[in-house]
Amino acid sequence: MRTRQLVAQLRADLGMAAPLPPPPEVTRIPAPPSRIFPVKSASDRAGAAMSAFAKDAAQHTTALVGIGCVGTRYATDVVLQFQAELAVAHAAVAAELPEDWAESRGMLPLRSRVGDHREYLLRPDLGRRLDAASLALLRSRAKRDIDVQPILADGLSAVATMGAGVALLEAFSDACRARGWSVGTPMCARFARVWLEDEIGQEVNARVAVILLGERPGLGTGDGLSAYLVHGPQIGRTDGDRNMMSNIHARGVPPQQAGARLAVLVGAMLDQGRSGVDLDLSGLTRELGDAASGGYRAPQERVRLVDMSSQPAARTMNRETPR
Amino acid sequence: MKLEPITPTVLSVQRLPAPTEAVLRAYGADPSRHTSLGLITCDQDDSTYVALDEATKHANIDVVFARSFYAGAGSASGPLSGEILGVIAADNPDDIDEGLRAIVRCLEHDACFYGANDDGSIAVFPHVISSLGHYLSAEAGLAPGDCMAYLIAPPMEASMAMDAALKAADVRAVKIFAPPTETNFAGAWLTGSLDACEAAAMAFLEACVRVGEAPRHDR
Repeated sequence: MRTRQLVAQLRADLGMAAPLPPPPEVTRIPAPPSRIFPVKSASDRAGAAMSAFAKDAAQHTTALVGIGCVGTRYATDVVLQFQAELAVAHAAVAAELPEDWAESRGMLPLRSRVGDHREYLLRPDLGRRLDAASLALLRSRAKRDIDVQPILADGLSAVATMGAGVALLEAFSDACRARGWSVGTPMCARFARVWLEDEIGQEVNARVAVILLGERPGLGTGDGLSAYLVHGPQIGRTDGDRNMMSNIHARGVPPQQAGARLAVLVGAMLDQGRSGVDLDLSGLTRELGDAASGGYRAPQERVRLVDMSSQPAARTMNRETPR
Repeated sequence: MKLEPITPTVLSVQRLPAPTEAVLRAYGADPSRHTSLGLITCDQDDSTYVALDEATKHANIDVVFARSFYAGAGSASGPLSGEILGVIAADNPDDIDEGLRAIVRCLEHDACFYGANDDGSIAVFPHVISSLGHYLSAEAGLAPGDCMAYLIAPPMEASMAMDAALKAADVRAVKIFAPPTETNFAGAWLTGSLDACEAAAMAFLEACVRVGEAPRHDR
């Protein structure tokens, strides 16, 4: 535009009376695209809003489904949600169980052969065996020849262990005692992998070993606990010999309920004398809920661990909500 | 009337979202960085060079190909050929769209030739770019953000006028296009401060008008 102004000035300087014709209108820049949702059929009103199916599906998962797009990109609120959830997962994996945590809560403090947290993440094999000091401690202080040995451990989320760990351990131990079984010394292992229960169970000669540990964090869960149960624990057991229960947290199975269900599982193992894929749970649908039946399960409504949409700052930043 | 703008006509604008590697390479794109092309033809080559450069300031694109056609728009090979084919490349088709919009916007309301005589048959391009994008700055060996006077006229007018421009202000010649070029025009790229570039461009245009008014010095 500057060149045109200069030319107009030059015209006046050269003595031309008529002004330069007005420049053509500036092309209107179209508004940036609002959020678009994919459509299945033309009758679906050009994808202006999230489809009823996507809306319904999104209620039952913390996964980012039915999120639409802005051009070839995600909408801002989706990116913020993703980053927040990923940050929670990263923080959970990076968290370490304090060294005196177990002792201060009256549990036998054990640790695996792992040296530090980085080695723990890189060497699963070392996390499956007790170090020499822990083995000696276990042999000298733990109760032997018992029915059930519960073991609390950090696993991949010390955050979860420090959160609901003790509540789950107590709920489960109480449920076992109520059924008349002998329960082993409460213990807590640092830098532990699931298979550590084999060595511990073998040492204390437990009929069933149960390890309760923080599960691998994902988007939307950083505080979940899992329980792995094995009958006749001994080094060399495989995952086919184990039963497990996951998603033990406030938004999944609460610790109290999980403790009771785990006791039912242990009961089945003691009755049948086996665990893992051979264990028959078909008669326990009443106690274990729909999970044992293998049939239809009513979808559970999911609540987000981090909900960015409830943050005022995020709301003002997000101008891409569907119209 | 002298000094009327001669508005460029955009003849064709096309997107090529996933060209084959051979086509990408043929037009100077880098298949590891570019997956989309945008193409434009126009009946004014110099306006389009300026518009392509302008687009690099609006979108994350590279100008990979821009060539003028022989003898200009008057001898075009077809109704969509015009005087130039410009090709932009990007990794994202949205950037291509944004770049093409910027090019068309610049051609429709900014860069254009001006008629130096009454019937507009002497076409002069006295364009001042106050801030170069990364296409023309690389072509000129200047830095992005520098000022440049982009001065083009027919051979006789340009030869007289580029000297007038260089004498009129504190500018230096970056490149001089002596005739014949593809379109048989001639001109120069000058750089200096913004004021100097503006003064040089207007001196260039005025000199073209003077040459057009008195073509025969011997009479």
